[in-house]
Amino acid sequence: MPDLRIEATINGRKIARNAKPHLRLLDFLRDDLGHTGTKEGCGAGECGTCSVFVDGVLLKSCLVPAAKAQGTRIETVEGLAKAGELSVLQQAFHKAGASQCGYCIPGMVMAATAALRANPFADREEIKERLGGNICRCTGYQKIFDAVELARDVQNGRRPASALAEEDAADGAFIGVNVRRLDAPSKVSGALKYAGDMVMPHMLHMAVLRSPHAHARIVSIDTSEAEAMDGVEGVITAADVPGVDGFGVFVHDQPIMARGKVRYVGEQVAAVASEDPLIARRALSKIKVVYEPLPAVFDAHEAMKAGAAVLHDYAPDNIVKHIPIRVGDVAKGFAESDLIVEETYSTQQVEHAYLEPEAGLAYVDADGVVTILSPSQNITHHRHMLSRIIAQPINKVRFIMSPVGGGFGGKEDMVYQGMLALMAMKTRRPVRVVFTREESIITTAKRHPSHTTYKMGLTRDGRIKAVEIKMISDGGAYGMSTEGVMRKAAILAAGPYAIPNVKVDTYGIYTNNTPSGAFRSFGALQTQFATETHLDICAEKLGLDPFEIRRVNAMRDGASTHTKQALKSVSLTRALDAAEKAARWEPGVPNMRGATRGDLNGEGTRPSCTLGARLAAAASPKTSEVA
Amino acid sequence: MLICDEYLTLASLDEAFDAMARHRGRCRIIAGATDTLPWAREGRAGDVEVPVLIDVARIPELNARRVDGTRVRLGAAVPIQRFLDDPALAKALPVMPQCAIWFADDQIRESATIGGNVINASPAADGTPPLIAHGARVELAAKRNGRIVRREMAVEDFLQGPGKTALESDELLVGLDCEALPGYGASFEKVGHRRSLVISVVCLAALVKLDATKQKIEDARLAIGGIGPVPQRLTEVESFLRAGPLTAERLEQAAEMPVALVASRSRQEYRREVVRGFVLRALMTAVRNAGGASLLAPELEAAYA
Repeated sequence: MPDLRIEATINGRKIARNAKPHLRLLDFLRDDLGHTGTKEGCGAGECGTCSVFVDGVLLKSCLVPAAKAQGTRIETVEGLAKAGELSVLQQAFHKAGASQCGYCIPGMVMAATAALRANPFADREEIKERLGGNICRCTGYQKIFDAVELARDVQNGRRPASALAEEDAADGAFIGVNVRRLDAPSKVSGALKYAGDMVMPHMLHMAVLRSPHAHARIVSIDTSEAEAMDGVEGVITAADVPGVDGFGVFVHDQPIMARGKVRYVGEQVAAVASEDPLIARRALSKIKVVYEPLPAVFDAHEAMKAGAAVLHDYAPDNIVKHIPIRVGDVAKGFAESDLIVEETYSTQQVEHAYLEPEAGLAYVDADGVVTILSPSQNITHHRHMLSRIIAQPINKVRFIMSPVGGGFGGKEDMVYQGMLALMAMKTRRPVRVVFTREESIITTAKRHPSHTTYKMGLTRDGRIKAVEIKMISDGGAYGMSTEGVMRKAAILAAGPYAIPNVKVDTYGIYTNNTPSGAFRSFGALQTQFATETHLDICAEKLGLDPFEIRRVNAMRDGASTHTKQALKSVSLTRALDAAEKAARWEPGVPNMRGATRGDLNGEGTRPSCTLGARLAAAASPKTSEVA
Repeated sequence: MLICDEYLTLASLDEAFDAMARHRGRCRIIAGATDTLPWAREGRAGDVEVPVLIDVARIPELNARRVDGTRVRLGAAVPIQRFLDDPALAKALPVMPQCAIWFADDQIRESATIGGNVINASPAADGTPPLIAHGARVELAAKRNGRIVRREMAVEDFLQGPGKTALESDELLVGLDCEALPGYGASFEKVGHRRSLVISVVCLAALVKLDATKQKIEDARLAIGGIGPVPQRLTEVESFLRAGPLTAERLEQAAEMPVALVASRSRQEYRREVVRGFVLRALMTAVRNAGGASLLAPELEAAYA
């Protein structure tokens, strides 16, 4: 297996190295040379976190075989400015608040650098186009485009360099003023180390064997061949758990690795560690697991029926959690109504798609403290759970939270930290795991897919007399945050509306789908989508303006919620006024239109995608400079 | 993950053929690598172990591009980005820049090659309909009995199905020979989920030449991708357009003609709608780019703009 010989110039320094022939330029830069400012977000050319210049041309280094680096001049984010300094663009990203989790930012800065090198006068449309290969999940892009425009103007002398300068809020005010992020310089420079960027001497790489079945009994697991492989330092399965196995944000129903049976495709079954990540991957295929497929259920409604496949012995009805709320008497409310409207609403499963795939590093320190470093959104809870699972007192378990490259709720679950701990304990060596994007998508929690049946009774003037709401949510194979999501969905189900008679039932149901868990808004989105859509339909049926029907029913200052929480102040009517104005809403019934529509094509809207700003600019050269 | 024991970067066709012969059955050709690396991942081919990777992207003949009066010769390893930044190519192949601007993203276009896009034989490839509209022929070469032998065929004959081509196991796609069509008005239409990094649901290339009066189509080229296993040239639409005057009514008739060709595995209803709209909009834009007047009623023009 002849190694490659790579001689290249990286950030102005000559290097000459031997490298494995299968490496990508990304691996060579990160693992062999330690340039971890270049990130891996997807490994498939989709996200742009790995963008680097090769001979002055910006490329996605996950799509470049390392061999192609031979004889080239490479520039990474670390090379954009002198040590301790920031380039104009990096300063502009800092100034504009264009970094949040920061994981996409080195790639964004590289793409922005390429854009302004190619056209120092690029307008916003052209900037958008040139940054089209880079994805951000936090910022919504506007601050990033603002930053690139700011840098462009400073470079062109249209704005003074002082526009980039520090500007502290006066008199210690922080609300309503721009405050710079303290951690932004480390993000825009690529200096910040995420868990997958960290290394320790003598460190092992862990790879995970996953279930190909949605529901199957594990008849046997034979790891002997994998353990006998040269270079394999450790293999773990559920049998290696010394304490009480089980984790979850509410119910501890998920084993560190599948125990007895698997409940969804992608569930972890075994893990292998080796100094060489390739050996760890190859060893997975040597683990022999015999499965006996079981009937599986993929629909929450089916799972609630008698005779459906049961996932967990403790929950023979497949119910993770049922949250009922009863206020007043809905039958009476419906009887008093002039109009009753019934509809059903469904929402789909959604992946968080943070740019940083799950990663972690674990070691047992000199005092025997099992230490796990990971971008966990819930380290204290994880610490308590792991202590029980590995049968160690709490002072022998330490969690360190590494920078979170985007979470949105998706990193609340202790999905891989337990495996890392077990492997570090078994091998007595530091162990790192870095999920591929595919593993991240197949394994980790999603937003609950939901199905809501909605019945609302109203009087002719739009006043809501009663609502009856039933939401069935697909919780997937494990409980994770389902209980909390069902609570919040129920609490907020009827919306911020003063309704005398309310009946709400939310159900989180086990199925053999990928587990559902925490995701921004935590259950509120699903029921709010139903409530707000339903109100529009009711407004139409009653011939009312949709803003008006909401104002008629809005909770006001001093209101009490459906779960009896006293609200000192309620901003709903102000929010409605602002939304109505911003939308340039034409007053009236939603399905009636006047002669003109004021809500189209104005401020706050944009036309659909059009063909290349650059082609348009080429057709009329005068637009190539910013007015 | 793409795993190899040896990675060979070759400097000439001769060397490449020797390496292919030496490692027959245990090698894979690589150029831009932008299709191969994502292919060797979970959910697609998974981990792929290939003993020898043979990188042909630096072979000079595969990078050459030559424009003469009537033909354009493109080396198979010419990156897609060259259609945007080489004015000679843009002039001779008027639909290629419009295709290139929608192709993947700025970074991938610098690596991805035109030959790779053809060899990959995706039904949704962005590059193949424009090549077909330009009457492109693939140039295939092999080393047999000590000498390099070459053959040619039309791109639409070369492409035989999803991932399937007429390439023999000892052959390399070395180049593409296209008709230069300077002065033609061009349009490339594409729809996908977003602007960058998106696979076409449907894509369409149109080239139109008007006569001196600008009132009649002298020549038209249309080719479409994404609606069946292989891209296809819309020859019936082309002859219909040449046969009569240039009117809004006839453009709308032309737009109706290829709707029945939709034979995709999924979303046929949607694609039929798209095909009708695309042909109309592509012709409208191409006619305007060829110096013709706007033909459609203003509201239709606005709707399709």
